[in-house]
Amino acid sequence: MDDGVRTLKTSEAASVLNVSPNTLRAWERRFGYPKPQRTAGKHRLYTHGEVAALRDALQEGLSISSAISRARESLSSDTSTLVGALQAFELDRADAAMEAALALRSVERSVQEVLLPSIHEIGERHGFDSAPWAFAARWATDWLQRAQRMAPPPMRPTAILVGDATRDDLDPDALALKALQLFAVRSGARVLVLPITGVAGLTEVLGAFAPQVVVISGAHASDDDVARWAYRVRSASGALPMALYRRGGRADAARTTARNLPDNAGEAHRIVLEILDGRPRGVAAPADDHVIDQPANRRQVRAS
Amino acid sequence: MIERPHLVALPGYADHPRPDVQFCGHCGRPPLETDIPPVSRVCTRCGLGLLVSAPPDGAPTPDDPFLLVDGQLSICGVSRLAEELLMTKETEVVNAHIGDLLVPADIEISGPESLVNLIVHAARGGGETRHVVLRPAKEFGIRFWARIAPCGPPRAALIVLADGRA
Repeated sequence: MDDGVRTLKTSEAASVLNVSPNTLRAWERRFGYPKPQRTAGKHRLYTHGEVAALRDALQEGLSISSAISRARESLSSDTSTLVGALQAFELDRADAAMEAALALRSVERSVQEVLLPSIHEIGERHGFDSAPWAFAARWATDWLQRAQRMAPPPMRPTAILVGDATRDDLDPDALALKALQLFAVRSGARVLVLPITGVAGLTEVLGAFAPQVVVISGAHASDDDVARWAYRVRSASGALPMALYRRGGRADAARTTARNLPDNAGEAHRIVLEILDGRPRGVAAPADDHVIDQPANRRQVRAS
Repeated sequence: MIERPHLVALPGYADHPRPDVQFCGHCGRPPLETDIPPVSRVCTRCGLGLLVSAPPDGAPTPDDPFLLVDGQLSICGVSRLAEELLMTKETEVVNAHIGDLLVPADIEISGPESLVNLIVHAARGGGETRHVVLRPAKEFGIRFWARIAPCGPPRAALIVLADGRA
């Protein structure tokens, strides 16, 4: 499950497709494909599988659009395979489908483009309270945990505290949170996930962990519980940048300056990194910088 | 003289005396003369279309809006000018049914002259360029004089739209 995906620089990908690098960038703007990742230096890195699929499709296409559609179709077959395996309750085949996905994509994109959509499709088909959903969600949770265990040790001097406001492992938001956690760990950050309901002893834990950003994830916990937990975090760690992930459209963001993250785990991860990069380490954030510190929340905490 | 019915050889796609014309499926322009084969099928002028061939009497000029439709009647390409004319984007209509975008102006026409038959015939490599009158699927009062010709590769039908003034 390592990230042994073959990648190509812009010039290499352009050469495989027999076009200029400018054309490749123009395709990215107009068609959104091939979709490169970025290196730390912001250079584009294309997945070889995507480029090869497009090269083959171009030979049989009438337009770039139709060729891209065909290339996307060939890549999406991994999703069908995974859905089929999970619907047949075949764990080995599900693992193999993810291995096949990893041959063409990075871990992050395999999770976003294959694992999460497949699990969601099973939930849509059978219901998010069904046994097939529970089977698939448990497998996905296990896969994400395995992937996390194989991630390199923390390299970035960053620490992310996640307040888990999901119901349990079968909460659909819990998988997205696990994906976000995986992406953050793989980017070298330290991540600590704590339940939003547990405030006892929080000060000691945060004193040791020293988070630099707080993400509250999940829509199950009430606003009161979230406010209470956020207050304790603030008391222990000072004013930290705060972001909300999959809070289900709750009004938290309206009452606070906490930043709402997009549902897509990859996008959410990118914004969390932006928040981290935008604030020098060890420097307290200004009071209006995504900080939960609103009178409404303080009143709720006091009342409790 | 033979009285009974007999087969007659008709001109087909492969019998065109003049070589096919190459054009870009996006900008409609011919390939650069400096593009010496074998090169990529991607248009080196705009980079946003693939080079397609069609008989000279059917091929579009760079000023003609046109569409490419396969034998299943799915839209496979929409030129830049056709995007403007039909107020759509190729990326949004590719793989859609041609009927979602264009329909015959005269719905009474059926049989071999119907739009479906003309497209299927052209997509099979049927040699002749045919003329029809079309209208946008969701608009009345607008007419396009169109010619339908074979094109490829792969085999497809080329629908070149015009306003009838030419």
